[in-house]
Amino acid sequence: FLGHSPPGKPEILKCRSPEKETFTCWWKPGTDGGLPTNYTLTYHKEGETITYECPDYKTGGPNSCYFNKKHTSIWKIYNITINATNQMGSSSSDPHYVDVIYIVEPDPPVNLTLEVKQPEDRKPYLWIKWLPPTLVDINSGWLTLQYEIRLKPEKTAVWETHFAGRQTQFSVLSLYSGQKYLVQVRCKPDHGFWSKWSPESSIEIPSDFI
Amino acid sequence: PVCPRGSVRCQVSLPDLFDRAVMLSHYIHSLSSDMFHEFNKQYALGRGFIPRAINSCHTSSISTPEDKEQAQQIHHGDLLNLVLTMLRSWNDPLDHLASEVHSLPKAPSALLTKATEVKEQNERLLEGIEKIVDQVHPGAKENKAYSVWSGLPSLQTADENTRLFAFYNLFRCLSRDSHKIDSYLKLLKCRIVYNNNC
Repeated sequence: FLGHSPPGKPEILKCRSPEKETFTCWWKPGTDGGLPTNYTLTYHKEGETITYECPDYKTGGPNSCYFNKKHTSIWKIYNITINATNQMGSSSSDPHYVDVIYIVEPDPPVNLTLEVKQPEDRKPYLWIKWLPPTLVDINSGWLTLQYEIRLKPEKTAVWETHFAGRQTQFSVLSLYSGQKYLVQVRCKPDHGFWSKWSPESSIEIPSDFI
Repeated sequence: PVCPRGSVRCQVSLPDLFDRAVMLSHYIHSLSSDMFHEFNKQYALGRGFIPRAINSCHTSSISTPEDKEQAQQIHHGDLLNLVLTMLRSWNDPLDHLASEVHSLPKAPSALLTKATEVKEQNERLLEGIEKIVDQVHPGAKENKAYSVWSGLPSLQTADENTRLFAFYNLFRCLSRDSHKIDSYLKLLKCRIVYNNNC
């Protein structure tokens, strides 16, 4: 075993819940000491003495652990540790404490749709609508989402941002005619983090859009 | 017509009561979460308080739903009573928190203001939920249950580490419980007022 050593200390990078019902944690392995190294995630739940092991190492991708609904309790602190083991020994990460209510970051909204409206009796406007991310349960009130949209002419750098509150549509009146516009939308739970921006949608504003 | 504040023989509609209650519970949690993070940043970093704080809220003995399915399976009357019990359990500690925060070294004024604001809004929310219970369950036996808080001596002790941990734990538990109350009220509003179609 010349040149081989026990594994280096792994590190928990992030834990995230997309809908306050499940969550996933990711870690960064340490050095492997030149040997095949195995990683396990173990955890304790507040109010319990049992040590559990990660229920699902696959769903969240490499170096991750996914806690489905059955394994997820809200308002409980999870004390999580990553353990690395090879033939020369083992090492563990620092403990990482997680309460699901503080890691809620939804997926972006979906089905972003754009339409230029030119009513006869009123000024023309760009009509933007979208749907909440599929995983999130809005109807029961378990999660409440707020939205923000941003748009800009394709060739400019600066985005124009609008807060849309809880509605899933928005109208924009002042636009440069004859330009191609890019639009994105994102969402935030009542208590939690903004999602990433949705993929861009684009639309050509007609030259008679005055 | 919307009942002006202080009017006597005028009953606010259930949807309006729930709207006001949810706005208040949302606001109370935002304040509580801010206070917890501000306190944590200024007084608790690196002191290893989290492991000590686990399972030590004075309200831990109150059995509450731990996920969406459990919360949805509880009858709305029982869930409302749970909210009442939790709100009442915070009256006493919030009273003392608002006055004891002054004793913290270089106590930030924002913390003082928010502690007082949370105390007042908690009382208003309690009144609002009692009105909701009156409408949802007229004549129901009044629920006066609450969980006793005995943390005042720790908030006033001369030993700094014990005192800071007591504050830390109070802010942490307040942030958690206010989030629970906010979540339960939003569920109840959608269930009772909008028939689960918010």
